[in-house]
Amino acid sequence: MNIIEIENLSHRFGDGTLGLDGIDLDIRQGSFVVIAGPNGSGKTTLLRHFNALLLPTAGCIRLAGVSTVQAPVRARRLVGMVFQDADSQIVGETVYEDVAFGPRNLRLGSGEIERQVAAALETVGLAQIGEKRPHLLSGGEKRRLAIAGVLAMQPRVIVFDEPFSSLDYPGIRQVLKQILALHRSGHTIVVTTHDLEKIIAHADRLILMQRGRVVRDGRPAKVMMEVEKFGVRQPCAVRLGQEVTPWLS
Amino acid sequence: MAELTPFGFVAGDSLLHRLDARFKILFLIGLSLTSVRVHFGGLAVLTLALAGVIFYCRLQLKSAYRELRYFLILLTLVFVARVLSTGGAAAISLGAMTVCVSGVTAATLVCWRLAFIVLVGLCFVATTRPVQIKAAIQWLLKPVPLVPEKKVAAMLGLIMRFIPVILNQARQTAEAQKARGIENRKNPVYRLTRLGFPILRRSFECADNLAVAMEARCFNANRTDPELSARRRDWIAAGALACLCVALLIN
Repeated sequence: MNIIEIENLSHRFGDGTLGLDGIDLDIRQGSFVVIAGPNGSGKTTLLRHFNALLLPTAGCIRLAGVSTVQAPVRARRLVGMVFQDADSQIVGETVYEDVAFGPRNLRLGSGEIERQVAAALETVGLAQIGEKRPHLLSGGEKRRLAIAGVLAMQPRVIVFDEPFSSLDYPGIRQVLKQILALHRSGHTIVVTTHDLEKIIAHADRLILMQRGRVVRDGRPAKVMMEVEKFGVRQPCAVRLGQEVTPWLS
Repeated sequence: MAELTPFGFVAGDSLLHRLDARFKILFLIGLSLTSVRVHFGGLAVLTLALAGVIFYCRLQLKSAYRELRYFLILLTLVFVARVLSTGGAAAISLGAMTVCVSGVTAATLVCWRLAFIVLVGLCFVATTRPVQIKAAIQWLLKPVPLVPEKKVAAMLGLIMRFIPVILNQARQTAEAQKARGIENRKNPVYRLTRLGFPILRRSFECADNLAVAMEARCFNANRTDPELSARRRDWIAAGALACLCVALLIN
């Protein structure tokens, strides 16, 4: 079953720039998709259509069969988005309050909010620091807090916009482990990146974008042979003619 | 960055932590108003009472000391200004400046009052979750016509969240400019504009990103607010405080 269906999607910004140009794409429920491309290729613009932060200029995008234009709030519940800059995503004054932000917006009852927040914090391993102020967290912890904030809204799809940018090695490991755990628990995962090295061994599909269009789409092993033509660096193992191994091992 | 936010909630289970935030706001207002009406005797009683509460509740306010040094500098300036601007019989003369006993008395009283009010505020912030402060302000603003209380409360919460982020950005910008020799420029207006515009630009960008992130999490004014409930202990504390303030004001 396809959880996301995109038909001839185009988006033109207010200044006339064409952000997306006739994209056709289906994403299967439970899949792990990596979208790669150089800066300005339209990755983030595409992601923002998944949860109706941007609406199509032409074409349409359906989540579990319903257009995002018709039901934008439903789209935001269904698709949780973890932004590139965790600092600007975290709105709560404490870790707990930040995770509770989404459930409060959904007007859940107090008991339900407490349960959702506790479960989300437990999942990302931040249950012990619920009272801590978010700006005191490490980069990896902030990214995990952003994930918890999304998880508390119980999405079926989680999209990550450049999840490893500005993170140190332990931070990258923490976030990668988290992403893999979420995929194992049944979430559909979509990750945008211009650095395939860390994530590609875990993905079952690689989509390449350039100038607002999908230029390659298929199994990672196949698509990876051509990535450098489109401004994305091949992982070292591929350059050496070897198989890509999981980054965590 | 931790040093930038001394006025933050400190988790705990003291009596002050457990009091209803609405009552605590009223206590804050009541104590502040009383402190500006009473003199040395009354202030001494209020300060002792506050010290007793801080000790009894085992509040750890040491972390705030570092940042309070700026407030102490301000208090010193206020003290000096008040001493020099109050007339009376001169006790000491230093050239054109004269220091009189009434000036020193008035300055001490003003500074003591200011310090007391800041300390009460500090206790309030240290023992009240920001979300409870927001909810209490929202509750208190509800009867005020033409004030969108939910929006005001949301804005207050965001300000509290983003002050450290903006201060950190300001520090980074200042350091980047120092690294490029801004200190060789002696004109303060030039330095201020060179520092101010990038900070403003980054703050607006930050606000834009924040708005998108909030929208992504379904932000709307009609959300579940934290529950506030007045209990017996709140009314007992309110009664005790009211008696104290009235007694001090009558004397």
